[in-house]
Amino acid sequence: MPTPTYTALANVTLGSSASSVTFSSIPATYRDLIFVFSGVVSAGGGEVVRITFNGDGNSANYSAVFANGDGSTTSSGTNARRFGLMYASRSQTVASFMDYSATDKHKTYLSRTGGASNALEMIAGRWANTAAITSFQVFPDANGFASGSTLSLYGVIS
Amino acid sequence: MKLIESKTLGTAQASIEFTSIPSTYTDLVLLVSGRSSRSGTYVDNIQIYFNGANSNLSSRYVDGDGVNRGSASQAVGFLGAIPAATATANTFGNLSVYIPNYAGATSKSFSADVVQETNATNAYMEITALLWNQTTAINSITLFALNGQLIAGSIASLYGITKGSDGIVTTS
Repeated sequence: MPTPTYTALANVTLGSSASSVTFSSIPATYRDLIFVFSGVVSAGGGEVVRITFNGDGNSANYSAVFANGDGSTTSSGTNARRFGLMYASRSQTVASFMDYSATDKHKTYLSRTGGASNALEMIAGRWANTAAITSFQVFPDANGFASGSTLSLYGVIS
Repeated sequence: MKLIESKTLGTAQASIEFTSIPSTYTDLVLLVSGRSSRSGTYVDNIQIYFNGANSNLSSRYVDGDGVNRGSASQAVGFLGAIPAATATANTFGNLSVYIPNYAGATSKSFSADVVQETNATNAYMEITALLWNQTTAINSITLFALNGQLIAGSIASLYGITKGSDGIVTTS
């Protein structure tokens, strides 16, 4: 029997649309975290999903660089708290939070996000804080996550 | 994360197939080390389809080869590029495919990270978003090289990931 390396911490399938989803009381006992989203936006064509760690809503404490493509053109830029893309057609995000419980380094994440019918993107982000991540909130710029969307969080054992 | 099945090719094969995938997990992760027999070139496409039918698939990618970047969409299950016959000997491409909610009753949106590095002029890295526009549960997966065979030494491993409770999640 192989050693399980992913431990399921939380999973939610939205019963109604939500403007944000918060994962809290995250134990510090894992090496990394993996976040997975599959779903659609509750209204509109598409929008950027952002992230807040430990309730820190000051965008000055965040930075992110992204590169994306829509099937014909590519672009790259910077955009604080950028975490994902979500569309009216089904899209997904898989993101890694590296060494999230360390207290001697700023926290970084790597996100791969988008949908086959729209655009996709890779994002490297940083939260300029050495505190361990104990909670985070994901939220789209406007509207919300549609009912039926699934969000999961896994801990990875070192 | 639990290993469902791992396959290592002893001889070149047209495809690698996982069948009778149980529906008891939340997500699937597929890890692949692959190389194509395609002759006369250094690269081939690796593709995927589900439940025995190569249809209802679309994909969109962003890639870079060390010089150029690009993006395109296709009406197939394109995952990315792997080395082929003229690529540096003994080099294989690496793929990580994440399939959320594979047993759910919605269309299946999933993603792939694909890299190859051959210590040569041309090598690709890609991220790809894919959609299987079917609401049935995924019970089999087929991988194949578009213009050749997957050569001996290619490996594909399928893992299942089980969901946890929602006790630490709040919505607003």
